[in-house]
Amino acid sequence: MRIEEYNRETEILYSGHNACPGCGGALTVRYLSRALGPNLAMAITASCWSIIVGVPPLTALKCPVIHCPFPSAGSVGGGLKRGLNARGHHDTTVVVLAGDGGTFDIGLQALSGAAQRNEDYIFICYDNEAYMNTGMQTSSATPFGARTTTAPYPLFRQGQKKDIMQIMAAHSIPYAATATVAFPEDMEKKLQKAKEIKGFRFMHVLSPCPPGWGIESSDTINLSRLAVYSNSFPLYEITGGVKWEMTFLPEKKKTPLKEYLSLQRRFRQVDDKIIDSLQDEVDHDWDKLMKRVQNPQD
Amino acid sequence: MSTRSDQNNYKYACGTEASTLNKTGEWRFMAAPERVKRLSPCRQDCLLDSDIPEWLEKVKEERWDEAWQDISRYNPFPALTGYVCFSPCTENCNRGRLDQEIDIQSVEKAIGEWRLENYQPSSKPREVKDKVAVIGSGPAGLSCAYYLSANGYRVTVFESAPLIGGMLALGIPEYRLPRTVLKKELKVLEEEGINFVTGQALGKDFDLGDLDQEFSSIFMATGAWLSRKEKIPGHDAKGVLYALDFLSMINTGQQPEIKDTVVVIGGGNAAVDSARSALRMNGVNSVSLIYRRSRAEMPADPGEVEAAESEGVELIFNALPREIETEGDSIEAVLLDYSKTNREGLVVDQSRSFKKACGTVVMALGQEADYSVFNKLDREIELFAGGDLISGPATVAEAIRAGRIAAFSIMARLENTAEPELSLASEQQVSFEELNLDARINLQLQHRLAEPVGEAGRCLGCGTCNSCGICYLFCPDMAVDWINNRYELNLDYCKGCGICVKECPARVLFMEGG
Repeated sequence: MRIEEYNRETEILYSGHNACPGCGGALTVRYLSRALGPNLAMAITASCWSIIVGVPPLTALKCPVIHCPFPSAGSVGGGLKRGLNARGHHDTTVVVLAGDGGTFDIGLQALSGAAQRNEDYIFICYDNEAYMNTGMQTSSATPFGARTTTAPYPLFRQGQKKDIMQIMAAHSIPYAATATVAFPEDMEKKLQKAKEIKGFRFMHVLSPCPPGWGIESSDTINLSRLAVYSNSFPLYEITGGVKWEMTFLPEKKKTPLKEYLSLQRRFRQVDDKIIDSLQDEVDHDWDKLMKRVQNPQD
Repeated sequence: MSTRSDQNNYKYACGTEASTLNKTGEWRFMAAPERVKRLSPCRQDCLLDSDIPEWLEKVKEERWDEAWQDISRYNPFPALTGYVCFSPCTENCNRGRLDQEIDIQSVEKAIGEWRLENYQPSSKPREVKDKVAVIGSGPAGLSCAYYLSANGYRVTVFESAPLIGGMLALGIPEYRLPRTVLKKELKVLEEEGINFVTGQALGKDFDLGDLDQEFSSIFMATGAWLSRKEKIPGHDAKGVLYALDFLSMINTGQQPEIKDTVVVIGGGNAAVDSARSALRMNGVNSVSLIYRRSRAEMPADPGEVEAAESEGVELIFNALPREIETEGDSIEAVLLDYSKTNREGLVVDQSRSFKKACGTVVMALGQEADYSVFNKLDREIELFAGGDLISGPATVAEAIRAGRIAAFSIMARLENTAEPELSLASEQQVSFEELNLDARINLQLQHRLAEPVGEAGRCLGCGTCNSCGICYLFCPDMAVDWINNRYELNLDYCKGCGICVKECPARVLFMEGG
């Protein structure tokens, strides 16, 4: 990839949006809008991005945007695509942008319904692992051990993070993939692949959140990279619900989970015992994934 | 200002004005990123202070003209140094810690060759400034002449030999520097308007006093051409040659009288050049190089020594010649004593001696400058001097640097301006540990892998922005613009998150100010 080929003109996102400094979500949308091209329509459910995109008359996106209620993201996307088809805009790519709350919890039934009907659009879940926009409340995407405002110190989040990729694979949708902001090349490749496929496409994007995770704003990319290197957020894609393939193998880069967690203040109350059990869990999930994928790591 | 309705032919109920009206740079509450230029290990080690990462980046982009502009600021003869420089720049290359050092010299040579092929004399009328004389047409003299001429001075170069080039033409063997390259380089200099006078020796055909009257300033770079002599028994035998005479005879096409077994005494580059040249001559069976200290203490370039060894030169260390044994007119053998260095200096053990049979001895015991010409002066004159004449025998690169410094000093003197800053700032060079290579490796930015463009593309750009684009790619606010072939920070929108500073692989971005 030649970065020089991109310039301000090819970006769909404008400067001056309302994201916090170092926002992973803003980067996610920047990469996805660029990869999917200017002929794009977006439905945004209640999330940080409802704010980031700006208050009329300002907008941060060059493409049209529909704001929709929290539980309805899945259905609004389907309606938007059918409406565009009815008006003759068959080649417009429809993207539904939802946070982890709008995907894992509140939006799950509409998402499941849309996936079952195989609606023709791309559902992007930018996962910052809590309801960050409303003040960092626990969601079912919050990992075990993290402190949130609904699980304040000395409490912390109990229970494992919901495995949304298995849920989506179980719907046998044409394409599902994970991505993260530290690997823009990998992410754009997946998006371009998704763009060519007709039917329901799902993408789970890990987007580190500086205020919510308690990290330095400059650490967004670093944390996103460490999540992959520590195997806690593997990069893979699922085609047709059956063909699982790794797109990036950390190989010798594998870092201990502790390094990833110690940079986040939301994990500051976890002791070494919990970290060890979390590490076991990550290793277990990794082994499970390696059994499933067609190109496992040796 | 483009509105959303310009971009699309349908509308939905959301904003219509671009959010670029919202100058998010006002949110910045601590520091802003700033680009600085830092010293790279290669530049620190370069004998010419050349800004290596800068021109490697231009070559990566195939902007050859700009690469030439950059390199010629410190080295007007990249084609020559591309062949003869011992490239100390690669020794501490940070890329070596990752996989393999960058072959900087091959890129340098490529720039030089590009320049020689694409040279066109300037059509602009030249500014006519003072006349300057350069005595000696070696690398120092040529470099000084180039910079003076490029700045409008009328330069005349005096050379005592019939060939232009000094050590480049007479000292360095053909296998290290093809003479076609030197000829092309000299042709370019002639077309640049430099006047060459050959066969005119200082002290014989003209005097410094004559030059002082005719020219506004004089640069003297006559080099170090006197061979140092060791008066051991038999040193005046017929088969004893001195390295510089030997090399210049070969380079001018004369055939030195030489027997089938040759012994070269000395450990410098002239010794290695002589040994390798002797091996290339007809009728020579074996060549031995004898040095009084150990291999590690040899002043010659280790690469050259290895090359000599692989070609079949026999290397003999820790041996000091006591006597050259002769029979009648011809040399029979060299008597050698065991010697080595300790804290007191060189110790010789005469009990452990041996003989090395040979027919010819080439003495390469070092060179000295000839200062006798100054004794003839009848009055004080002002002149500039540099190169081997001042520093003693050194490298081509150091001579080119001396010539450049002399040229700028002469210009400062004639134009009554301040002496230019010539030494690099003694700042800390960029270390390997500082570099953040994760982003760069994952993105596989080593695009376009054909030589030498690909070789330049491998440069990590320690301390120099090489437009890798990581800052542009990872900026959530698009506060980095691509303007005039380089990335510029746009602080109007920068929220000061610091991602670019943290991720910059070349470590040129820093958070500055408040």
